[in-house]
Amino acid sequence: MSEQDLTVPRPLPATSADTADEPGAAARVLGAPSLVAQDVHVTYRVVGSRGRERGAKSGGGRRARLRRLMDRGREHTGGVTEVHAVRGVSFVARRGESIAILGTNGSGKSTLLRALAGLQPMSQGSVYVDGVPSLLGVNAVLMKKLSGERNIVIGGLALGLTRAEIDAKLDEIVEFAGIGDAVYLPMSALSSGMAARLRFAISTARVPEVLMIDEALATGDAAFRQRSKERIEQIREAAGTIFFVSHSLAAVRSMCTRAIWLDKGVVRMDGDVDTVADAYRDHIKADKREARRARRAKLGEEEWQRRRQARRARREARRSAEAAESR
Amino acid sequence: MGAAAPAALSTGVMSPQDAARIAAENGLQPIGVRPSLRGYLRALRQRRQFTHVLASSKAYAENQGTYLGQLWSILTPTMNALVYVMIFGLLLKTNRGVENVIGFIVVGVFVYRLFDEGVNTAGRSIPTNGNLVRALQFPRVVLPTAGIFSKYLGQLPSMLVMLAFVLLSRFVPRNVPVPVSWRWLLLPVAILLLLGFTLGVGYVFARICAGVPDLLNFFPFVFRILMYASGVIFPINHYVHNAALERVLEYQPVALYLDLARQSVLHEPSIPLMWSKWLLALAWSVGVLLVGFVFFWRAEARYGRE
Repeated sequence: MSEQDLTVPRPLPATSADTADEPGAAARVLGAPSLVAQDVHVTYRVVGSRGRERGAKSGGGRRARLRRLMDRGREHTGGVTEVHAVRGVSFVARRGESIAILGTNGSGKSTLLRALAGLQPMSQGSVYVDGVPSLLGVNAVLMKKLSGERNIVIGGLALGLTRAEIDAKLDEIVEFAGIGDAVYLPMSALSSGMAARLRFAISTARVPEVLMIDEALATGDAAFRQRSKERIEQIREAAGTIFFVSHSLAAVRSMCTRAIWLDKGVVRMDGDVDTVADAYRDHIKADKREARRARRAKLGEEEWQRRRQARRARREARRSAEAAESR
Repeated sequence: MGAAAPAALSTGVMSPQDAARIAAENGLQPIGVRPSLRGYLRALRQRRQFTHVLASSKAYAENQGTYLGQLWSILTPTMNALVYVMIFGLLLKTNRGVENVIGFIVVGVFVYRLFDEGVNTAGRSIPTNGNLVRALQFPRVVLPTAGIFSKYLGQLPSMLVMLAFVLLSRFVPRNVPVPVSWRWLLLPVAILLLLGFTLGVGYVFARICAGVPDLLNFFPFVFRILMYASGVIFPINHYVHNAALERVLEYQPVALYLDLARQSVLHEPSIPLMWSKWLLALAWSVGVLLVGFVFFWRAEARYGRE
């Protein structure tokens, strides 16, 4: 089992939502292309684990038992599982665009971003980009044993800033992160929220031509979220292109002009943010309905009704209990 | 997409030629491909501060989280050397054909550790820095380089401890005193030559261990054999009597660097100053460093796939 796809592709035609015919689209001013992705494929290699089909069972009998025993040994030694996370994504991004990448968990959004940023080797295809793209993630963990200040220096140098530029920006970064004197403590002494804020502050210290944001706004308290939103807005004005991964459709609608919907590693739809977001939301709802229907069919009508009654009864009981408490 | 966009810009099928043409028209650079060797060297030069800070921070972080903190960078090698004094100076009453057995062993062990730890850190550098690799773009050769630098920096104090023990060994019975001589100034040169060799071997290690992590579990045993085959704690010629084998063992690079260090620090009649060995060591350093660097660079676009 050298190559095994853990996700099964559903035969879905990629709906191309070209907004060229819509009146609003022509008015939008777009710059020159800043990023070209052509047939991008990403395959993860997971060394030391053997992917297994769920529910795969060998039959009875002695031979099968022997095989099962051998399989049990093989499961724990060797083997490489290849996970085909992104399967042929092509698009062109232009200056002044901010593009949301939508999709359910495991649809390949983050992997695609990393590949576009040159951090995840591609197994096929090519990406061309203007300058050095910067990926802003919450998981840019630096060195836990060192102080926040030391981490700022390391992060800044890694981003390509000079030592003098970092020294000049140090106060600003600390102030933005809002961690005060805690910056002189080892990172391991900081709360996870503080560490996340510091990482965000470090990674936005340099304004790139292409900025990619992976769920970074989800961290921190309300005040910090507001500050980071403003910072991203600033960067967007200065930077050419922004890619934005988020599960919040509201945030996506307010920040982006275009959306690409990924489904199991394939572009399902690409176009105006509202059009794609609507279609995505409808799809999610339909999926939930579908799941409910499948469950109903599986359980049988009688059992389904019985559970529904029970659920309602529990809800009623909870409500009356809450009402009693608040009184 | 704007109304004026050519057909190739819409989502769906795009040929590699279309993509390359659009990129060329707009001055976009390909990403995720291996840079030219010259470009790679330039990028490395730009990140030399990064390499340096990463190395010194890692060396510092090693002793963080303890009450005595950086004092351990002196205490650890001191206790290490004391163990050798106890075993070889007080328990085993053999001089192994050298005049100052404490000096011989302490120099051997401490200098060998530079190489051993350096190469091991380099081998682990890609997987252990997975977070940096996945978050930031920079020439990956920075990681093994910084790893080896940090080990060398972190062991500078232990070099001082080594010299102190060489001097103090005169108080241990059966050890001929070692005088302080101008040759001690050669020790930094020997260490620098060893650094070049360690970097070269480390680069090779970093690449193959990034591909096959299992080797990290296997190599410690290779290194243990190498340690005994390099005359770290006993002179090779004291135990090997086959002339051809002795030659090979004496001139294999690791033994050669240990020999240089002993030429510099000790005053053994059996280890005279031989400039031909210094030239040979220089050739090993430069050659292995170049080969290792090119070998690492050739896989640049593939690091971080796991």
